[in-house]
Amino acid sequence: MKRRTSKPRQFIKGIPIAVWMLALVVVPLMFTFLMSFYSSSGLMIDTTLTLENYRLFFTDPLYARILFKSIRLALVISVLSIAAAFPLAYMVSFKIRRGRNMLFMLCIIPLWVSYLVRIIAWRTILGNRGVINSALMAIGVIKEPLTFFLYNQFAIAITLTYICIPFVFIPVYTALEKIPRNLLDASSDLGANELRAFVNVVLPLGLPGLITGFIFSFIIALGDYIIPLQLGGTQGIMFGNLVWSQFGFAFNWPLGAALGFILFAIAVTILGLTSKFGTTEGGFLSE
Amino acid sequence: MSSKSRAAGGGRGTWLKIYGTLIFVFLYFPMIIVLLFSFSPTRTIVGLSGLTLKWYQELFQDTGLLTAFWHTVLVGLCAVAIATVFGTAGAFFVTRVEFPGKGVFRALVMLPFLLPGIIMGLTLLIFFRNLNVPLSMFTILMGHVSFTTPLVMFQVSSRLLRMGPTYRWAAMDLGANPVQTFWHVTLPMIRTALIGAGLLAFTVSFDEIVISYFLTGTWMTLPVYIYGMLRFGLSPKVYAISTIILLLSLVLITFMARYTGRSAETYRVRDRRGKRDAA
Repeated sequence: MKRRTSKPRQFIKGIPIAVWMLALVVVPLMFTFLMSFYSSSGLMIDTTLTLENYRLFFTDPLYARILFKSIRLALVISVLSIAAAFPLAYMVSFKIRRGRNMLFMLCIIPLWVSYLVRIIAWRTILGNRGVINSALMAIGVIKEPLTFFLYNQFAIAITLTYICIPFVFIPVYTALEKIPRNLLDASSDLGANELRAFVNVVLPLGLPGLITGFIFSFIIALGDYIIPLQLGGTQGIMFGNLVWSQFGFAFNWPLGAALGFILFAIAVTILGLTSKFGTTEGGFLSE
Repeated sequence: MSSKSRAAGGGRGTWLKIYGTLIFVFLYFPMIIVLLFSFSPTRTIVGLSGLTLKWYQELFQDTGLLTAFWHTVLVGLCAVAIATVFGTAGAFFVTRVEFPGKGVFRALVMLPFLLPGIIMGLTLLIFFRNLNVPLSMFTILMGHVSFTTPLVMFQVSSRLLRMGPTYRWAAMDLGANPVQTFWHVTLPMIRTALIGAGLLAFTVSFDEIVISYFLTGTWMTLPVYIYGMLRFGLSPKVYAISTIILLLSLVLITFMARYTGRSAETYRVRDRRGKRDAA
């Protein structure tokens, strides 16, 4: 179907959103891109254009190492989130008859519950004098608190998985709900058992939702800096922290802009590459 | 249906339900911990020695915290108001106007929501610094408008798409001008979507820290203020304010669920039919 271009008068409707987009998305990105070619000397920003920040990123192994560490951790988090959310979505979509709306709400409520409160909760659970250690000491399994729960990649992984589960659940559930139920009846009539029907019908039809969920959780995990700051300790310095620290302690905005732009390029590339395979709207921005 | 017995959707899935229950425990256990700690007189939950409300009383004496709370409400309300105008206009634009490159346009609108918050935070920080805008309520508000606008836009545009153009055409055929059509036909039909989107945008704005953290000077919102409190460790006061935030989010989400989704539309239609029958 060929789409016509509307009459020029119609475009008046587009003015507010275009203003918003230019002022808060496009122009700030352009400023950032420009600043990534500046350099920092002491507390001043030198506006002569240079590729120094990008050269540093590609030559100093520190940056590549932290980026790869972050990508690896983000992949682990995405896999864990899918392992938790996919069976959950499958269960709510196929196995529950009564109270399904209630269960659906219970799955997405954590999405809108304060991010900071959830971080506080996990610090409480994993801490040296936290819930797990107190419980283990109370039942006499250990005498001294175990210190390997908090301030490492494990703590980041568990907290970010917790954050990402609803982001995977929603697109997967939306995809599963769209599967015509008579396809499953047909596969059953043709002699497929539940596993076979799952592999041949549910999984291929649910795949777009799965891919969308995977991308969401990967990008969230890769870009986060608050959780590594709060729970990562020195072992858990991630790429997001590295970017953040250029604006905080290091006060090297041009380098921060360059690193931020690299993160932006990675995120946009992933979104662009996968938008063909996933459902782009994920089902939770649309109703 | 007899054929349901064996295929997916048929079996009882006992193991799956056990696994699902465990995931629910994982999802809700941390929130319950925060809730319990806020009432505990000691810092540890094991050996719970009675309940106390004293941390809540302390909250109300913390003027910094109370100020930050009102700041958050103020930013949230302003962000919702601005995002509703921009987002609704945007929704009308993308559903009713055809132009080449619309796919790219839609993707660009989604960016603030899809990109990691750190990118939105730092690009806006650099933008405002370049324009010599000092960090203030204004910069935080703009940060919040950046991600609430696509939220509103997509809620409203999906409602508009599902409504289809027929009601609008009918109104126009009956002689209504565009303003009348909008006011008497379209607006009542998207009203619940607008309320739902507004509540959602407020909830997200109320909790936002990743972008705000970049754009905050001395004028602080509640999450940024609490983040500052965390530097001195986890105090019972942190649990008390966290519990209040938790409960507030739950209330907002419950209201939001009433106004969004297909259920909101059937509710509205049933309501109108009821009125007509009564008349």
